[in-house]
Amino acid sequence: MLRTTLAGLRLHKSRYVTTVLAIMLGVMFTTGTMVFADTLKAGYEKTVMGSATSVDAIAVDTHTEPEGLDEPWETVPLTEEHLTAIRGLPEVSGAGGMAQGQAVLLDGEGRAFGFAPPAAVSIEEHSRFSADEGRLPVGGGEIALATSTAEQIGFEIGDTVTVLDREQEKRDFELTGLVDFGADRTYSQLGTVVFDTATLREMTGAEGYSEIDVIASEGHTDDQVVEAVSTVLGPDFEVSTGEEFGLAMAEGSGADTEMLRVVLLLFSFIAMFVAGIVIYNTFAILIAQRQRELALLRCVGAKRSQVFRSVLAESVVVGLVASALGVLAGIGIGLAGATFGGPLLGTEGSTLVITPLAVAVGLVLGTTVTVFSALVPATRATRVAPLAALRTSATAAGLEKGTGWIRVVLGVAAFAVSAALVGFSQATGPDPLGPVVVTAAALVAFVGVVVLGPLLVRGIVRVVGAPLRRVGVPSMLAVDNSVRSPRRAATAMIALTVGATLITGYSVVSASTEATLTEELEDRFPVDYQIMAQYGAEAIAGEGTEEIPEDGGAAEGTEDALGEETGTDDVEGMAWPLDPGIPTEVRALLQEQDVLERVMADRGVALATEGDDLLPVTTYVNGRLGVDLTADTVEGELTDLGPGKVVLSEGYADGAKVGDTFGVPGLWDGRDLDLEVVAITEDAQRLNGAVIDPEDFAAAFPEITEDRALFVIAKDEADPALVRETVMGAVDGYPTLQVVSVAEMKNQFSEVLDIAFYTVAAMLGLAIIIAVFGISNTMALSVLERTRESALLRALGLTRAQLRRMLSVEAVLLCLIGAGIGIVLGVVFGWAAADSVLPGMVFSAPVDQIAVFIALALLAGLIAAVLPARRAAGTSITGALASE
Amino acid sequence: MKDIGDEAGRRSRIGTRTFRVPAHRLESSIVNAPASDPRSPVAPPPVVVARGLTKIYDTGGTRVHALDGVDVEFHRGAFTAIMGPSGSGKSTLMHCLAGLDVPSSGTVHLGRTQITGLRDAELTLLRRDRIGFIFQSFNLLPMLTAEQNILLPSQIAKRKVDRERFDRVVEVVGLRERLHHLPAKLSGGQQQRVAVARALLSAPEVVYADEPTGNLDSRSGSEVLEFLRTSAEEMHQTIVMVTHDPIAASYADRVVFLRDGRLVDEVSEPTAELVSARLLKLEEA
Repeated sequence: MLRTTLAGLRLHKSRYVTTVLAIMLGVMFTTGTMVFADTLKAGYEKTVMGSATSVDAIAVDTHTEPEGLDEPWETVPLTEEHLTAIRGLPEVSGAGGMAQGQAVLLDGEGRAFGFAPPAAVSIEEHSRFSADEGRLPVGGGEIALATSTAEQIGFEIGDTVTVLDREQEKRDFELTGLVDFGADRTYSQLGTVVFDTATLREMTGAEGYSEIDVIASEGHTDDQVVEAVSTVLGPDFEVSTGEEFGLAMAEGSGADTEMLRVVLLLFSFIAMFVAGIVIYNTFAILIAQRQRELALLRCVGAKRSQVFRSVLAESVVVGLVASALGVLAGIGIGLAGATFGGPLLGTEGSTLVITPLAVAVGLVLGTTVTVFSALVPATRATRVAPLAALRTSATAAGLEKGTGWIRVVLGVAAFAVSAALVGFSQATGPDPLGPVVVTAAALVAFVGVVVLGPLLVRGIVRVVGAPLRRVGVPSMLAVDNSVRSPRRAATAMIALTVGATLITGYSVVSASTEATLTEELEDRFPVDYQIMAQYGAEAIAGEGTEEIPEDGGAAEGTEDALGEETGTDDVEGMAWPLDPGIPTEVRALLQEQDVLERVMADRGVALATEGDDLLPVTTYVNGRLGVDLTADTVEGELTDLGPGKVVLSEGYADGAKVGDTFGVPGLWDGRDLDLEVVAITEDAQRLNGAVIDPEDFAAAFPEITEDRALFVIAKDEADPALVRETVMGAVDGYPTLQVVSVAEMKNQFSEVLDIAFYTVAAMLGLAIIIAVFGISNTMALSVLERTRESALLRALGLTRAQLRRMLSVEAVLLCLIGAGIGIVLGVVFGWAAADSVLPGMVFSAPVDQIAVFIALALLAGLIAAVLPARRAAGTSITGALASE
Repeated sequence: MKDIGDEAGRRSRIGTRTFRVPAHRLESSIVNAPASDPRSPVAPPPVVVARGLTKIYDTGGTRVHALDGVDVEFHRGAFTAIMGPSGSGKSTLMHCLAGLDVPSSGTVHLGRTQITGLRDAELTLLRRDRIGFIFQSFNLLPMLTAEQNILLPSQIAKRKVDRERFDRVVEVVGLRERLHHLPAKLSGGQQQRVAVARALLSAPEVVYADEPTGNLDSRSGSEVLEFLRTSAEEMHQTIVMVTHDPIAASYADRVVFLRDGRLVDEVSEPTAELVSARLLKLEEA
């Protein structure tokens, strides 16, 4: 029996080419992902480990996590005494301490780098870090930067670098070297500057050491060193060997790689799913075409089980061969990915890692999917009656029967359930669970499409085909051919629908997000520039310590508030500014400028209410609510805000209605401020919490003297360059203030969305390529089936070109229907998904992108038809007429 | 119109195959019939002429002469049967005459056109515009209705369909009631009649029929053959039919016999008995 199977495979191998390609592509992606991720991970580990293994023992300071939100991190630093003691140990030949603080680094334009100050560390002899280019800084006039930081700002060795000291005074340093900190987030996220220890202490006020690196003296193992150091330091500090330390760090940094792996595997799952559909269709068609062959086997005595096994054996062989090819291709892709993508992700020169798991997963996945997809056709094969051998093949000439009413009922039910789910997700309002519900709804709708597929194909062809029929005989025949086996056509098309739905859905979400943001920025909050202070040390959880003094001016207001807050424990509510402030002089300066229409400011505090919730209380100085700042309201008018009035967002309203009295709780002097509610806004918009009049705010929170953010609106006719110059001039004396042009922000945001979209589209492109293979294969098998028909048409005077055109039109029709259904589903569910998470979502269908998809579907159809059409046109008429 | 159908029926009952309707009467009743000289109805010019046709197949070292120097011609309005034992080259001859296959040497003329040596595209147009086909089986496209099948060649050629002729042909083959059925809903005989109607609709210069009754029961077969003969006689349709059935051949005006790729015999005004006897003789020889 196996011999028959293999002989059959050899005979019909051309029929499997596209199937093999489909499986191969899916497996290639999966194995490629694994190899890529493994290689990347090894690369990361090497980079991270590399620095740690250069020393023998590492001692670090201890952090105690704060108990409450308002408690600072408790840090016990290593001290100079510790370092001296360690140096004195006989097991130790050398030890170096690394102190750490924060310093504001200015870029070439004199503005503070990053949204928060970079880390500042001291590196001296015996450290696990060393200068990769140039040399480490020595003395008060030299500085080194992390390689990535220097790259981002565009500094080179020899340049003069300006850093603000503790008094916010500018100090210039010469850049002497670059240090590669690898993928360690502590150093890579915000950037890192390097000084020698004395300069670091002077610049940042950092005390003690955060880490001491130790080199063993000859004849002592790492473990002995660790033990000796531990004894000196006592139980308060963690000591580990360089290798252990490296491994721990590698584990942490590997998380990114794992995330990447999961995302890529998700895409390969989609690809394999589509490949499964293609394989299923191929086997189903082949079984139908080989009915007589199988019946003959039954006639000569093969049992049902033998027929079943024969078909399954065929799928195993096809699956294994294709998977093996896929694994090989995947290793190639993984290598390419690591070579070209690795440097972008921070690893270089890593050697290819091929784990047995990657190979096994590829082989097993490909074969399993193939065999699984062949199960249904194989079962169908067992139902072939021996008598069928004597009849002429039903599939060759016949048309499939109509769609059963059960199918219709099931399909309609699926759509109804899906619609109900979408309705539910919309009714509940923005909710993190929304997309999950929408995804479920999309899956259910997809089941509906699968069930109703044949009917859909027939219905759509009837509509679309009507004008096509008039174009000419080839397109008329193509329209008729495309509905000959609607089930087959539907399956081929659905493979494409999967990809089209996902891409369109994603593009709709992406475009709607952008449109929503644009509306937010342009209509509701039409400002040109936004000025904010660089985040202070305490704004970054875990980074800041009490030992690090304030960055100065920018954060002084914060200091006051913090002091006040801790000093007023007896007051029921507590409040502190959410962000560091902007000196009022900046606003005053800006308000004098002619080119500016208006300079708004917002000030705010967060008040602890009776629960654990924080109530943000905000006021907009100079800003007219309902005019300069708008939001969707549940009720009331924003313009009614004035002294004694308050605007609340729904979530904080606590059931209050317009006209009610709302008590802003726990004020500084213990008095409640009773305000009349004039409007309730929808949640998760720009206006959040309680918005009150500046007069009330100043009376209630006299300690807050600085603005949290400034919003600059230029005059309509003002020259943009002049506006920019004016704004930048105003903040010239305050390097830590961050000026954001809203236009730039929008561009950056669009850019990020675009990059994400193209990446996702490229990943899903694979699923689409596989689906096109499926359509091509379906066409090729149909052409084989219709050889005699093609010969007849040729005899009756259809030219080769017309025959080719006929098949192209059929394939294009299939692709367009598949893509069309996908686009419709994608738009609907993209809208539903976006609306379920984005408050005040502005729906935007990316018309140009959708046009591109349709053009691509057309192209895909043409490509899918190339080989089958060549084959059909190339067949000799007399040979085809003589066969059978 | 009606009288012709009746006439055909009467003639077949009487079995007088020699009765012929004068050509000038036909001219008045058949619209769009191929132009022929009414003054010399008995000697029409040859429509198809083949000279020295040879077809050699090279099957793995052994050269097989499927056709070995065939000279043959077919006249306007003649219904000719090509007969011969299996493997005698009947089908190959027909394929070469029809421009479906290319002979190794020799020439074929259709009217004034030499079709040997034409390129594929030219042959396709020639088939489309000037030749009609009826095959043994699988004559119809399963997804088209009977009417669409009949009209297909005209549509491919973008020819304007002469509705009057269409109606007449449909009437003759008796398909009026079945025009909107798919082939699957038609009997074998009806399907073949659709094929005949399709071949006749555009009044091609020659109709080639390859075993047109091979798959039919004898009654349906005789119906189809009767239509072919009627169209030859009344519409001056030139028909060349390949068959191995002596009874089918007896409907023709002339039978040519083929053996081992050569024309070996010819019978005019054949009867089934005569043809069988000749065939037997050929098989024995």
